[in-house]
Amino acid sequence: MEFIFEGILQAFVLLWGADAETLSAVTATVKVSSASMAVSLVLGLPLGFWLGYHRFPGKRAVRTLVDTLLSLPTVLVGLIVYALISQRGPLGPMGLLFTLPGIAVGQAILALPVVVALTATAVESMDRQLSVTLRSLGADRRQLLLSTLWEARFGILAAAVTAYGRVMTEVGISMMVGGNIKWHTRTMTTAIALETNKGMFAMGVALGLVLLAIAFAVNISVSFLRRHAR
Amino acid sequence: MNPTGAPLFHLEAVEHHYAGRRVLAVAHLRIAPGTIVGLMGPNGSGKSTLLRLLGFLETPSRGRILFKGRPAAPFDPRIRGKVTLLPQDPYLMNRSVADNVAYGLKLRGGREKTEPRVQEALAAVGLAPERFARRPWYALSGGEAQRVALAARLVLEPQVLLMDEPTASVDAESAERIRQAALTARARWGTTLIVASHDWSWLFEVCDEVWHLFAGEVFPTGTRTFFPGPWEPGPEGRWRRRLADGQHLAALPGKNPAAAAVIDSRNLMLSRTPVPEAGLTILAGTVLRLALIRRSAKVVATLAVGELTLTAILDPEALKAQTLIPGDPIHVAYRAEDLRWVDSPGAD
Repeated sequence: MEFIFEGILQAFVLLWGADAETLSAVTATVKVSSASMAVSLVLGLPLGFWLGYHRFPGKRAVRTLVDTLLSLPTVLVGLIVYALISQRGPLGPMGLLFTLPGIAVGQAILALPVVVALTATAVESMDRQLSVTLRSLGADRRQLLLSTLWEARFGILAAAVTAYGRVMTEVGISMMVGGNIKWHTRTMTTAIALETNKGMFAMGVALGLVLLAIAFAVNISVSFLRRHAR
Repeated sequence: MNPTGAPLFHLEAVEHHYAGRRVLAVAHLRIAPGTIVGLMGPNGSGKSTLLRLLGFLETPSRGRILFKGRPAAPFDPRIRGKVTLLPQDPYLMNRSVADNVAYGLKLRGGREKTEPRVQEALAAVGLAPERFARRPWYALSGGEAQRVALAARLVLEPQVLLMDEPTASVDAESAERIRQAALTARARWGTTLIVASHDWSWLFEVCDEVWHLFAGEVFPTGTRTFFPGPWEPGPEGRWRRRLADGQHLAALPGKNPAAAAVIDSRNLMLSRTPVPEAGLTILAGTVLRLALIRRSAKVVATLAVGELTLTAILDPEALKAQTLIPGDPIHVAYRAEDLRWVDSPGAD
């Protein structure tokens, strides 16, 4: 048991002293998850609106597919992205393997179904009169999209937070596509996995605490926004 | 008429279907600019569908709708913000009253100042801007919300204001404010008003034209009464329909026993005592309401007969002679030959 307490103690020392290796993993994670979230929101919000707003043949099948992709295993995404961007893959010449942008691509794929599915649900659950109202007041297609997303903002915020949580905490993609290269593509989660394997608990615990703190900060800001939006 | 001489709306062979079922069929219909048209008819008769089509919120399944002589479709810049619908349960966006009212103006862009216009629109529906402008959307009563929704449309100075039962679920004061605000819009900007309503003071005191809708069919001009099916074979080779109180309607045989029959309300004869005559069907009922049709100076009487509500048109002189008041027992007579069958699309 003693080594665990020692690990926790050392974790605070690392964080307090702004240990360079720990900070590098934190920075890599924040960079890569921000990039992947930006991509998944830019693509996912219009797609989610389209899926939730329109009625079309085969809609139920598309919803089922998107819902299935919610539980996409991270190692499978890692495998597919690895295959695509490795030297022999079709996107090999782009040189994305073992880079942060490479990880971001994989994480965007992971987050996209979450954003699409939860946005579609949020838009679907809006009052049917919303669309009639917006169009009656002169909204064009773009204004209809933006105003509907704004009206559904709490549901969409929940979608973004859920997707962010999934992206922040995944290991499979970062490990397989990023290669867990120290000072370069080592993220918080891959660092925790590696350090724990080596029996080095301090850095693992420190990074775990940072992950928890980020999750806490995100949730606090969301509930703050919710309270002040009314 | 507008400069092109075309009517404001022109519907040609319009049909609308939901889930494969025909809910509205209009062979031909014209609406002149600046008119006030009232739509009356039972729930599910197609009033809301017609309003949504006229508001270009949906495209008809068949046929076309011309706006000022040219076909228009949803999102057409010619109609955006100019033709506006006030739905029965209006949606207020999650923002303040002032922001709700200003929404349409902001969509238009431009440099005009929104605040004075928002205040003017709120005042027009009888909501004091200083009390209501900053209120959030959830701190309003049903009648206030309806008036805010109307203000959001009036601020656009629309060419056409479509209203779906605007006074159905509001108190008398809100109803009067809504009516006055809509009439002011017509007086100020020549706004064409098309109102679906069960509110008799709208329909008979204010409207230039009242159209009846029944089972998806539009009967422009004139007052009508509908006798819905199912019909069964009766004596003397006629069809009959049993009412809840045991009386029978009679009709000449048609094609579809489930169809409804319609009669021009002028062909319903009223008398205090039954006057038996060959070929007349006589029904006992009660006078429910009497209202003046302003334009024709006739009186429309609503009568309860069995489970049906009938409307008859009377001369004021005849009314005086019979001294009818609501609650009086009355006899209604008609000739089966005066009934016409409605090929009811909703009956299948």
